[in-house]
This record gives sequence, C-alpha cells and structure tokens, in this order.
Amino acid sequence: MSVFRRIANLLHRSRIDRDLDAELQAHIALRTEDNLAAGMSPEQARRDALMRFGNQTVTKERVAAVETALLFSSIGSDTRYAIRQLIKNPGFALAAILSLALGIGATVSIFSVIYGVLLHPFPYADVDRLANLSLSDPRGNIFDAEFTGQQFRELRNVHGFEGIATWDARHLTVTGHDVPENAIAFFGIGETFVTLGVPPLLGRNLGPSDSPEGQEPLPVVMLHYRFWQRHFNGDPAVIGKTLELNHRLYTIVGVTRPHFTWGWGADVYLPEEATQGGGVVVRLRHGVSLASADAELQPLLERFAQERPHSFPPKFKVDIRPLTYETTRNMGGTLYLLFAAVAMLLAIGCSNVSILLLARGTARRHEFALRSAVGASSSRIVRQLLTESLLLAFTGTALGILMAYQLVRLLVEWMPQGMFPPDVAIRINVPVLLFTAGLALLSSVLIGLVPALQMIKPEIGQVMQSSTNRTAGSVHGRRLHGTLIAAQIALTLVLLTAAGAAVHAFLHLLNVPLGYDPHNVVSVGIPLQDNTYTTWEARVNYFEQLRASVAALPDVVSASVATNATPPHSGWEQRFQLRDKPSSSPEAQTARIHFVDPGYFSTLQVPLLQGRTWSVAEVTRGASLAVVNQTLARRYYPNGDIVGHAIKLSALQSGGSPNALTAPGAGDWMQVIGVVGDSLNDGLDNPVRPAIFAPYSTVMRMGTQILIRTRAAPEPILHSIRKQLATVSPDQQTYGVIADLETWIRNEPEWARGRLISALFAGFSIVALFLSGVGLYSVLSYSVAQRTNEFGIRMALGATRPHVLRIATASAGVSVGTGIAVGLALSLGLNHVVSAWVGITTNHPLIVLSVSLLLLIVAGIACFVPARKVLSIDPIVALRSE
Amino acid sequence: MAKNDLQGTLDLLVLKTLAQMGALHGYGIVLHIQRASEELLHVEEGSLYPALHRMEQSGWIASQWSHTETNRKAKYYKLTPQGRRQLQQAEDSFNQLVRGVRTVLRYV
Repeated sequence: MSVFRRIANLLHRSRIDRDLDAELQAHIALRTEDNLAAGMSPEQARRDALMRFGNQTVTKERVAAVETALLFSSIGSDTRYAIRQLIKNPGFALAAILSLALGIGATVSIFSVIYGVLLHPFPYADVDRLANLSLSDPRGNIFDAEFTGQQFRELRNVHGFEGIATWDARHLTVTGHDVPENAIAFFGIGETFVTLGVPPLLGRNLGPSDSPEGQEPLPVVMLHYRFWQRHFNGDPAVIGKTLELNHRLYTIVGVTRPHFTWGWGADVYLPEEATQGGGVVVRLRHGVSLASADAELQPLLERFAQERPHSFPPKFKVDIRPLTYETTRNMGGTLYLLFAAVAMLLAIGCSNVSILLLARGTARRHEFALRSAVGASSSRIVRQLLTESLLLAFTGTALGILMAYQLVRLLVEWMPQGMFPPDVAIRINVPVLLFTAGLALLSSVLIGLVPALQMIKPEIGQVMQSSTNRTAGSVHGRRLHGTLIAAQIALTLVLLTAAGAAVHAFLHLLNVPLGYDPHNVVSVGIPLQDNTYTTWEARVNYFEQLRASVAALPDVVSASVATNATPPHSGWEQRFQLRDKPSSSPEAQTARIHFVDPGYFSTLQVPLLQGRTWSVAEVTRGASLAVVNQTLARRYYPNGDIVGHAIKLSALQSGGSPNALTAPGAGDWMQVIGVVGDSLNDGLDNPVRPAIFAPYSTVMRMGTQILIRTRAAPEPILHSIRKQLATVSPDQQTYGVIADLETWIRNEPEWARGRLISALFAGFSIVALFLSGVGLYSVLSYSVAQRTNEFGIRMALGATRPHVLRIATASAGVSVGTGIAVGLALSLGLNHVVSAWVGITTNHPLIVLSVSLLLLIVAGIACFVPARKVLSIDPIVALRSE
Repeated sequence: MAKNDLQGTLDLLVLKTLAQMGALHGYGIVLHIQRASEELLHVEEGSLYPALHRMEQSGWIASQWSHTETNRKAKYYKLTPQGRRQLQQAEDSFNQLVRGVRTVLRYV
C-alpha cells in the first residue's frame, strides 16, 4: 500500500506541495483566529502564529522527505551503481546478457512457429470442433474421403454434425490478359463459409443463397487476400467488379482475411458443388467425440461405397481426424525437435547467468561485508544485488526479443514448402515471450540473491577480520557451481551430437548422386481445362504442339513432354508383370511408372545404357514399347538381357481415372526396347526404385509437364515460354511458379528440412558451446582469483606448480567429465527418439567422438587460460597480501 | 514540548490524543496536548507535521479534508486499527521507560 502511495507521490510532488501548503495555512489561520479571540491585534495575532511555526519551508521539506521516502531515492542510485558495476566488468555483463538473449530469442521464435504451424494453423471459429472426414484402410493409410452432390446432402443430415464444409480444387485460367494466368480455385457448397465461421476482410462470404438448390450457382467469386494483392494490388474498391475465369465473368463479392488457410494456397473460392468428388470438413455437435462420429458415419459411408466403389478404398474405416493432423504429421517432428534444442539452449543460458552471478557474488563478499560494516542493512544489499540482476535480465530480454524477430523471419524463409498452409500466421507469440522472459527474470533474480542471502548470515566480522577475499568459498557454493557446469556440458554435448548428425545427414543429401543434370532445366506445369481436348488424338496432338512451340525458342536446347516425371520424386508406384517371370507375390512387384517422350532422357541427360528409345512416330501412335531403368533391369534380369522381353502394367488395363485418355493398346504386353541409367525417383534420401518409362501418349490426364533445357540460366526466358505456349492456345496458362530442377531439389521436404535442422542445430550448438565455455571460464577464473592466497601457502609449503595447477582445475575437471558422461548417455538414450522424429541417427561413432573431442578442447581452453594465472603466483607476494 | 523529547514520545502523544478525541486537525492536536498536559507540554509545529505524515505513511493514522467549526478547510487525522495497536505498544514501552527511569532516580 504505502509503496504504491510513494510511487504516486513521486509522480505528484507538486500536488503534495499544494496539499501541504493548504494544511499549514489552515493551521496558521486557526491559531490566528484564537489569538484574535484572546484579544491580540490582527497583525500581532498573525505574527505570533507564524513565529510559533518556525520556518515553513523547512517544515515542508521535512514532510516531503517523509513522503517520498528513502526507498525510491535510493533506487536511482542503486541503478546507477549497478550500471557502473556492469560497465566495470564488461565481459561479465556481455556474457550474461548474451546468454539470456540467445536463450529467449531462440525459444520464442521456435515456439512462435510451432504455434502458427502446428497448434493454430486454421483461424476458424471454434476450431476444436472442426475435423477432417478421412478414411483409413487396414494397412494404416489415411485418405480424404470424397463425395458428390447427393451425398453432401445426406451428410448434412448426420446427427453428430452441426454443419459441413466441402472442398474440391481445380485449376482455372484468368483470361482477358496478354498471358493467361493460373488460378487455384476451391469449390464448395453454400454453407462452407458458414461452417468455418470466419468473417471476410471486405464484402461478404459466400453463402447458401449463392448456390440455390437445383439451380446453377450464381456467377460470384470470393478472392483470397493473397490473390487480391497479387492481381488487384489490394484495391479496396474491388467488391462488385468482375473477374474473368475461363472466359466467364464472375462478380467479386468478398475478400478473405490474410491468414485464411482454407484450401492451402487457394486463389479464388467459387460456390459450386463438386461433381467429380470433393473432400469434407465437418463441424461436430457439442459433446460429440470423434469416435462416436466415426461410428455414426460408418454405415452411411458403406452404403456410399456400394454406390460408387471407385471412390472408397477396400475395407475402409471412417477415421475423422482433427484438422491439425496433417500439419502435425508433416512438421511436428521437426519443430518439436527444434523446440527441444532451444529449450536446452534456454536452460544453458539461464544456468550460465546463474554461474556468472554466483561467481561474481562470491568474489564480492568482501565488498558486501565492508558495506554492511559501515551500516548498510542486509535488505539494502539485497536490493542492490536485485537491481543488478534485474538490469541484466531486462537488457537480456530486450535483446532476446529483437533476436526472436530476426530468427522468425529466417525460419519462415527456410521452412519446407507444401507441408503446411502457405498463409499461416507466424508471428511472435506474446504469452511465450512473457513466459520465457519471466523464466529468465526469475532464474537470474533468484540466483542473484544467493550470495546476498549468504551475507545475511552473521559472518561479516569473520570476513572482515580475515581482511581478504581469498577464500575457497563455501562447499555449498562450489557444489552448486559444479552441478551447473556439469549440466551445461551435458546439454551442450547433446546439442552438438544432434547437430553433428543433422549436418552429416544433410551433407550426405547434398552429395547424393542424382543420375540426372538439374542445371538449367525447368519444369513447366500445363493444366488442362475441363472438357478440352477430349479425344486421344487431339490431346496427343495438343501436347506435341505445345512442346514443339517451346522447342522452337532460340535459347532452348531441348523440350520434352513428361507427365509426372520431374525428378527427384517422379512416377506413379504401380504393379507390373513380367511375361517370362511370373511373380510369386504380384502385390509387391511394383515400379515407378513414367509417361514421357524420347527427348526426356536427353533433356535430363540420363544415359541410354542398352537398346534404344522410341521414335517420334511410335510416341504419336502410343506404341506398346517400354524403357526401364537399370535398377529394374538388374533386379529381374541380372544377366543384362531384359531387352526384348515383355512387361505389363496392370493399372492400365482398368483404364485409370475417369478423365484420363488411354492409347488403344495401353493394357497390352509392352516390349522392353531399352535400359537407361538410374536417376532419383523416390526422393533424395531413398534408393532409386525400379522404373518403367512408357510413351506419354499411353495415358494422358488433365495436364502434363514440359521439361525444358535452356542454354543459359532459365529465368530471363520464362516469359517468352509462357507467351509461346499462348500462341498454341491463348488460354493455356502454366501452373504456379515455374522453377528449375535445382529449386525442385531444394523444395524437397527432406532437403528443406535437412537445411533447417542442420543450420539451426549447428547454430544453436555453437552458441551452446560458446556459452558453456564462458561459464567454465568464469567459474575457474573467479575461483583461482579467490584462492591465490591458498595457492601461495601451498607453494610456500613445497607444492610444485603442476601440483597447484592440478588442484586448481580438479573440481572443474570433475564437472566436465561428469557432464560429458551424462551427455553421452543422454544422446545415446535419446537417439531412437530423435531418429524416429526426423530420420537422422545420432549414434554415429565418429560424430560422437569428434564432438566430444571438440567439447573437451573448448573446456580445456576455458579451464587452462584462467588456471595459467596460478603458475604466475609468487608465493611471497601472495602471502604478504594477507 | 521540550526540544530534546524522548524519542517516540511525540508519536505517543499524537496517537493518544487521536484515541481520546477522535478526528482532529494538526492545530487541534497541538491545543489538546497543551490543555491536557496542563500547559506543561508544547508541541512544536515544525516537528508535528513531519511526524503526522510519517505516521500516515506507516498506516497508523488516516487523513481527510473537512471543515472546522469556523467553516475553514483543514486536514483531519484519525486513528487506524493499526495505529491503535501501535498506541498500545508505545504506551507499554513508555510506562516501562518511566518506571525504569524513576527507579534509577530513587536509587539510594
């Protein structure tokens, strides 16, 4: 109470003055009245009143001194003194502040990403009750269930659901400009936006009235914030304007908020029911669990499966999952691993500050004893120390916040793409910021108090009489030091081992033989519009025309049609049969199927090892001729005689998906005409799978890719490629960002994740190494400084210098040894956890050995530099200082 | 009251005054002590106000602006429960002090 009043008084000094003045004037007036009543003259009466009072100003000052009190006037001097102390020991101050700042910055930034990506990626109202309607099959695979018009209406009536939202993605073309632009469109039934419950930024959400029952949906469109920025430059007057999609005009009715993540990167939203099949997100009724919803839905979906067997996997179970299931599966391991790393860093940072404060507090015992002897109360000394710790903590926290902002930016840039919605809001998480800052504050304040509390014990006289600060310190203090140092070393070793493993894995990834040359090759996605090029001949013709138009550009070396054959992740995993070698387990005999043209191999510079590839005419007629890769050839025909044998793709017999056009003889036996070298087809960190290449005309879906090798860096000619494609068909857009194959490699989840983890772990572990080095150094140098006298006596009594050196470093050595032992045990123990999360193993003996060695060297330097001072002790000087 | 007052005696007098008289302004306290001590004690105004404000900070007394009989604005002080406890203590220790001093003076 009085503390607050004093603070208020400080701020309101003038108000106090006025108040006090009035009080004193009243007093004088009352006395004057009485004097008058006693018969004095008015002048006499007033003079008497004033005289009795003495000097008013002095009185006022004395009262004011009481009001503002000692506490706050001394806080200013405490702070000044603390700043002077810290400036006097810049190394100490810097080490402590950096320790805190790094710990806080790293923790806050990683957690902010975790919050944005894993915990709260979907900004929908009451998001806990929203769930994805998925199915699982007996093998544990998870599928999004797909439905059509009538089925949506039945799902709507399921008791456990309060509402449903549906989605179906298609590529549309923004027409009416010189180069057609691709737009990712998400279709949904009318109540989709109602179910999500997110208010729009501008205009209105799509609603049930936009797609009335039994009628054509209205030509209205809602823009995603990103598309609105890109295409309309964020024009606030966009509502009511029109957008031309596939030559049809749509009225813009709304713009979403920036972090709206429905559709993972959708550009526009349209009110239309899926005809092909679309996914469903459900809003569960209050109190309905996922399991009970599963049970309620199972019979209904089994009926659906009878009606449309192709849309459901065999022996499926309804398996409704939380919306965050997918992001957590994709990114959870990586991010939680990083979070564990930064938590360790924070622990190291906090313990480092503690070590520094403890060491310094012990060294300053003499100072405190002196101050206490000349009259400082123990609470005064505690306050002084508190001020110093708080100053450190606040500076460290402020710096930590700055670091967090920088680190979040870097993280966002380096996050693997496609693993979470691109529009998630990643921003500094304030609760976590407060929590970490509070933790740092608490740890530094508590530890900062330990030496002060020791001072309160009545040993001042003893310390004073000994007239020296060179004592070994209490056993308790040293034990605390030792434990902290050992813990730091252990955590640092864990971090170093993980960093070593991550870097090792990433380097391995960088040096993986690709089997193809990604340099100056771009992959251009070519989506087809619905109901275009519906005959097999027309589509072959169209694809070939597109290819030829690009190949005609002067800077293009070669261009080839390659459907789903862009490495390093290429082809469809499908079953195949060999005519001469019936498989004993036909289910398991699979290969990656690619649909390409003969230029594919030269564009990627994949060598032809045996036989030949197709002629142009063979591709144009969809000849049943196949090329295989070396892995397949060696596995099934170890003698190298596969050419001439026959192979069959089982999936082609059943015709594939409804929109695909297949060549007349697609399901027949195909003759193997050639063998090509292995190139990556199952990602960067998996061995090459057996691969079969067939002419792209064998199966054509609603789109393909064109691989283009250019003479120089491809970026400058991307626009002319787009224009060239538009000469063939003015509406032919390209899909998304056109990137070269080196970028494709960098965008592979393993690559991006590897870079993120190895860079961050390396960074964190270097920081940890540095911090524990500093901690060790400061403990040792303070202890040596304190024990100079003891060492002098030992040397005077005949101890040799190496002997004294050994005594000086013995306790630190024990701490380091314990730390390394615990750290090794921890990293080996955690190995299976870590490798399960991110697929890197940490118990590579070379890595463990080399990081332990590195840690030992750093610890050795941190010990030896201060301990060397022991060697320069002159026993006589040391003793005389007593 | 003598300048070299025994430490704490002024506090005791003020607290006792407020306990006896209820709310009083500073001048009233001076008058009461003077009257009640049969003109033996004179409180110095210069000491009274710092003491009043200190006791207010310590939470022993509370103040409030109000009007005098002559309709003049003045600051009135009254005892808080904490002040009442403090008064009890101060009275006890004062009595002890007086007994001690008297015993010493009577020592033959």
